[in-house]
Amino acid sequence: MSASLAAPARLTRVRRYLLHNLGLNLALALLVVVVALYCGVYFAQQGRFPGNFELTSTVDNTMPLVLAAIAQTLVVLTRGIDLSIGGMMDLTNALAAAHMKAGIGSMLGWSALILAVGAGLGLVNGLLVAYGRLQPILVTLATLSIFQGLAIRVLPDPGGAIPQAYTDALVNTSAPWALVYVVALALLWLGFRRSALGVALFAVGNDERAARANGIDVIRTKLAAYMMGGVFAALAGLVLAATATSGDATTGDGFTLRSVVAVVLGGVSLFGGRGSAIGAMAGAFITMMIVNVLFFTAIDPLYQSFFEGLFLVVVVVLGAVIGRRFRRG
Amino acid sequence: MDGETEQSGVAAIEGRGVSRAFGGVHAVENASFAVRAGEVHALVGENGAGKSTLIRILGGLIRPDGGEIRVGDETVSFATPRDAHARGIRTVFQELTLFPAMSVAENLLLGHEPRGPSGLIRRSALDGAAEAALAGLGITHIDPRALVEETSLAERQVIEIARAVLRAPRVLFLDEPTSALVEHEVEWLFAIVRRLRGEGRAVVFTSHRWREVASIADRITIMRNGTEVGTFPTIEESEAVRLMTGRRVGALYPPLAPAPTGDTVLAAEHLEGPGFRDVSFRLGRGEILGFGGLTGHGHRELFLSLFGAAPLSGGALRVGGKPLHPRRPRDAMAAGIALIPEDRKTEGLLLPMSVRDNLTLALIDLLCRAGVIARGRERSMAQRMVATLQIKTPSLAQAVGNLSGGNQQKVLLGRWLLAEPQVLLLSDVTRGVDVATKSEIYELIMRLAAGGRGVLLYSSDALELSHLCHRVLVMREGRIVRELAAGGFTAEDVVAAAVGETQLAA
Amino acid sequence: MSEAIGAAPVRRFALDADGRRVAFAVLAAAALFAVGDLVHPGFAGAASIEAVALNASFVGLVAAGQCFVVLVGGIDLSIPWVLNGAAILLVTASLGQNARAGFAVALTLGMGALVGFVNGFGIAVLAVPAVVMTLAMNGVMEGLTLGLSGGLTCGACASYAPPVVRAAVNGGFLGLPAALWVWLFIIVAVTFVLGFTGFGRKTYAIGNNALASRLAGVNVRAITILLYMLSGMFSALAGIMLVGFGGQASLGMGTPFLFQSVAAVVIGGLDILGGRGNYVGVAAGSMSLMALISVLLAVDMPEYGRSILYGVVILLLLLAYGRNRAAD
Repeated sequence: MSASLAAPARLTRVRRYLLHNLGLNLALALLVVVVALYCGVYFAQQGRFPGNFELTSTVDNTMPLVLAAIAQTLVVLTRGIDLSIGGMMDLTNALAAAHMKAGIGSMLGWSALILAVGAGLGLVNGLLVAYGRLQPILVTLATLSIFQGLAIRVLPDPGGAIPQAYTDALVNTSAPWALVYVVALALLWLGFRRSALGVALFAVGNDERAARANGIDVIRTKLAAYMMGGVFAALAGLVLAATATSGDATTGDGFTLRSVVAVVLGGVSLFGGRGSAIGAMAGAFITMMIVNVLFFTAIDPLYQSFFEGLFLVVVVVLGAVIGRRFRRG
Repeated sequence: MDGETEQSGVAAIEGRGVSRAFGGVHAVENASFAVRAGEVHALVGENGAGKSTLIRILGGLIRPDGGEIRVGDETVSFATPRDAHARGIRTVFQELTLFPAMSVAENLLLGHEPRGPSGLIRRSALDGAAEAALAGLGITHIDPRALVEETSLAERQVIEIARAVLRAPRVLFLDEPTSALVEHEVEWLFAIVRRLRGEGRAVVFTSHRWREVASIADRITIMRNGTEVGTFPTIEESEAVRLMTGRRVGALYPPLAPAPTGDTVLAAEHLEGPGFRDVSFRLGRGEILGFGGLTGHGHRELFLSLFGAAPLSGGALRVGGKPLHPRRPRDAMAAGIALIPEDRKTEGLLLPMSVRDNLTLALIDLLCRAGVIARGRERSMAQRMVATLQIKTPSLAQAVGNLSGGNQQKVLLGRWLLAEPQVLLLSDVTRGVDVATKSEIYELIMRLAAGGRGVLLYSSDALELSHLCHRVLVMREGRIVRELAAGGFTAEDVVAAAVGETQLAA
Repeated sequence: MSEAIGAAPVRRFALDADGRRVAFAVLAAAALFAVGDLVHPGFAGAASIEAVALNASFVGLVAAGQCFVVLVGGIDLSIPWVLNGAAILLVTASLGQNARAGFAVALTLGMGALVGFVNGFGIAVLAVPAVVMTLAMNGVMEGLTLGLSGGLTCGACASYAPPVVRAAVNGGFLGLPAALWVWLFIIVAVTFVLGFTGFGRKTYAIGNNALASRLAGVNVRAITILLYMLSGMFSALAGIMLVGFGGQASLGMGTPFLFQSVAAVVIGGLDILGGRGNYVGVAAGSMSLMALISVLLAVDMPEYGRSILYGVVILLLLLAYGRNRAAD
């Protein structure tokens, strides 16, 4: 037919891959840089490179944030934000510490129940956002307060106990076993990205109106995103409890904002529809590495937040500048 | 593929007495419209006649307030476009519905991706499948791996059409499918449309270009003021225009004063910016200089750059003899330039704010003494403009969003008249405006020009350009490709130059 | 209130809706005092109302800044540590001496303005999302405050606020605490600025449609930066007032104010997407919030119950105020 215009120059494979996954690639590159930086300052301090112990403890300590960052990613991709992640982690953490007993039945049963609770909490957020048509930031700010209150009700004082066997099953402190989880989560994400729901999630985040016009069930997609976010937040709460071997109804509070930071560092757009949970996972590791670097550069720990904040701004601004340059050619 | 052929008596889809109002204004009122299988049906009417609303209703995007939709001999109710899809009804809406950060292939095959045994999408097969699907429709110039945001507006329109066609709809609605397409792209589209007709499918399309309508439509339905005027197998253009506007063609437009010979008020030499290049022209005092061309061919960017809202990267601009390098709208405003943007709802007005607030926004600094707004002066200024332009509003405190389209446009015009500009950049000022107001706006433009101002007028309506302008510059791919000089051109000439037709009817 | 969820999306006039929301916030405060008086007789008495208002004045000041940025669809998450930093800066710069009070107050307000400028610059010029920019600045201010004060262990950190500052907050005038007069003045001033000045008009314009405002010649960047500067200054002012009220600065004193300022703004009827609402509503929202907290404390509601109820009240108000604009 007559429609064939002169074919424009097509992008090379490599260039296209870099360009289309810019946020993810910048996050991975940044991760490499901060890991190298960490190894450098570690060597300068200790006279050797970090070994198995450092790797294991770093990965173990980052796991809760990795899971929280995935939860945040799922919601942010729909052009929302979930400020209640910290509250969901508080509540699930408290539930585990208050109720879980040694014995396979109790551990499995409560784990399943707690994940279901996470899904339920996410569903509440989702219903308010999707059916109530309220702003995600306000809805989740309100539910954050509610979840925090419930957590304190469940576990008024820090304590409770997590069965040793549960900790052993989830957290291996002698080898970087958790890296397997990281890889598994990455694979899970790649699979999800290819599922109908994954495509719908991106479509809704790209343009809600267009998604509807294309026959996508926008409400169901959002509900699913918030529910899955709840499940991952609950998982984060469980891992946090397993790591600490006891519970604390406020231990998750800090994770709300840290999950947002991880998502932003991971190149996920807060305007929805762009990004990857793998980037957010990298973002979680980046934040953790920055803390480690600060520790080994003997900077007064009181200044830690200063450097974290500065780092966040610089990365976001540089990322935008690099993106613009790259696109222009 | 369900190639069942309908009895000629039963419509493939039909709307009976359909109505829909937005904020108290009837966009469609008691409209009836029936489509037969195997026909190409053109839906024509002025901007704001209700074509798009009717298509949105039949496509399931919005629900009607009243009336009935029938598919075959069943009454149906579409809650979402999904329900319409299930009945084999697909729509290409006027506002494109592609996902910018997703690839062309992902967009094209959304929901119909090649899947592996696990039920997951096979990414390795996705691009190939998209490429094959595009090739099957004769499209080879679009890279399925590109992101939609990397494609041109015309390419997006082609992708959007291709996506709908690939779903093998029984009825395909196309709302202004050709607004961004050049000649050979239109030919491509029409070949597809004929093929669909040959397969017994129905195609409904809207267009402002009469030639397109006449060349391919089996039947033509004319709409005016939200309802159908009639359906005709064939109809003369002049008669159709009379039915669309409710009056004779010429009567809508006031007589054009002769082209002035006064001095130049704006001179552009080799202007260059994002989306346009090498643009040179002179605008005289009292002159109405038209800009024609398809959507996405640079006029929008040119106007924004002239107004300082987009960067000018090259060339020289002089206004009233003095050089101007507008870096922001305030610079252009200080030089006496005013811009009425294309989309008054997203670029012009503050819909929830009052008529008064909207009228005085551009002048607010001048109305302030020590930062405080002189309310009395502000009110009298706003009142004066409401009276001058006969803006129909219950009060100055009324939210602009609650006015009719025509009165909204008057408020926007009023804002810039208050600024007493020397040069007006007008973009599609009569879009979504009723006929009576249209006529008033035309007279206003001519009065402004007669008062010694320079007017640059972009319009997607070639008829408007041919009646209103002393000269018309037609842009294509960011350049001025033709100048149609005073007096000797028709709407057809404008369209021909815009779509890039090789031989121009003399 | 749940009927409101299912109610048909009637198109309302914007101004009426705004008025309705302000009325709602005022009614909520009145209702809370009435309920409080039932469960705890004397709660609606003058002394009790005055005490609640005094508490509300601090939230109200912070919420004034939050109000400015929310009106353009932004948000300021840097409030906690700007406020905390301001409180510490005031005492360390003044060393509790009247002679240095003027300098210290000016320096502290200047610090707030500077942080606000950085926020506004990042958001308006570098296009960093407001959530990210102000979150990062909160971290920056936290680190600076902790680091420079050595975790509030510095010699000057134990200083008290200068007597003049304390008198200006704790003193009385015509039978009302001075802090309330300050707040009343701010209420009048902010309402005037938003309602009667060109700056206020442009603020609403940007909040309703930033692109259209720019195309009408509004200097969107400059106004946005100014708004964030105002927010920083109001946080600093609240820090000064708090330290004047309590005498000494402490760590973490700003933390509750982030949630409370957002809550006050929401209860007060502002649209989080910008362009709608006014400070009278926000002031009423601050009163409602503090009245709620006082009622719950008066009936010995445990911490968890209060936390749950704050959330529930905000959700109910959000549902009552209606669906967001994206719906139409």
